[in-house]
Amino acid sequence: MAALHQHGSEQTPYLARAAARILVIDDDACVGRAIQAIMIRCQCETVLASRAHAGIHTFRTSEFDVVIVDLFMPGMNGLDTIKKIRSKSGVPIIAMSGFRLRNSLDAEQDFLGMAIRHGATTSLRKPFSPPQLVAAIDRSRGMAPPTGEPSL
Amino acid sequence: MTQKEFRADRPNCSKWVDDGGQPAEELEIGRPSPERSRAANEVGSAIAHQINGPLTALRLYIGEIRQISGRSTEAAAARVSMQQMVESAFQETERICAMMRLIADSFEGPLYPENAAALGRDVIGWWSRRGPERDGSSPPIQTILTPREREVLGHISQGCSNKQGAIRMQIAPRTFESHRAQVMRKFGARNGADLVRMALNENPVRS
Repeated sequence: MAALHQHGSEQTPYLARAAARILVIDDDACVGRAIQAIMIRCQCETVLASRAHAGIHTFRTSEFDVVIVDLFMPGMNGLDTIKKIRSKSGVPIIAMSGFRLRNSLDAEQDFLGMAIRHGATTSLRKPFSPPQLVAAIDRSRGMAPPTGEPSL
Repeated sequence: MTQKEFRADRPNCSKWVDDGGQPAEELEIGRPSPERSRAANEVGSAIAHQINGPLTALRLYIGEIRQISGRSTEAAAARVSMQQMVESAFQETERICAMMRLIADSFEGPLYPENAAALGRDVIGWWSRRGPERDGSSPPIQTILTPREREVLGHISQGCSNKQGAIRMQIAPRTFESHRAQVMRKFGARNGADLVRMALNENPVRS
């Protein structure tokens, strides 16, 4: 995919659908800040939380259009975080992790797949590129939430 | 041991089987036992997890810088050399990302999906606990068992069968068995008797 990018040919900046408020829950603050830097150009406001509990608290006290959750964090893990948020809201949730796991009996079985079954709308495998990030956000917002009222 | 032999003997990460039929550990590099290749994959996976954070941030920044440098309005010559450097940095980043994918991909999950998250946390936890001063020795068993597994081990060391243990813990026998299989894997126990002996030696259960 990288080979297709000739400088100059890809001038149109990727555009996330209208401005959105994004909550990023990741124990690695650098990842959150990088996402924030990318999303500023798409007129999106990004709020960071470095622990699941803090993230859930922030989610409850404010309005968000998208939540991005890392799967492996100290304390509560991302799967439980997703389940908790999903039980209360139909907000688009993007699960992210670089940690992959294969199962010889079931190739489909990995952490990102588990996240989807726990209620995540879509997933992003780390490390991802800016276009992949924006595409995931657009994808999640374009999809009907599995529970709750439709958000669009 | 030639390079060729080394490669030939390393298929795509062999499937781990709980048969314990391996002869005593052979320290021949070219022939990793299933246990060793599994351990190597777990270590690789833990390392990949550690590096994935900064690598994700780097990939995002580099992607963004590349995008911006394409639009810069500086003098043509300066712009071209800047773009070349950015392009090279971008390609190198992509190369590292591809490598990390391969490493992270080699980690084979447990037989039972319900154990996957716990195993993942174990592997990651092991790496973070492992300070630079440690000599790479394996972590103490108490720290690698999940609370659930410790409970299962407690029942086993008290002589419970799978069924009895499952009833005591009010879980399905199959779940009990899968916890037990994980404990066996972590202990490197070859069979039930082995496991009970190790459990009694370790005596990790206080409840």
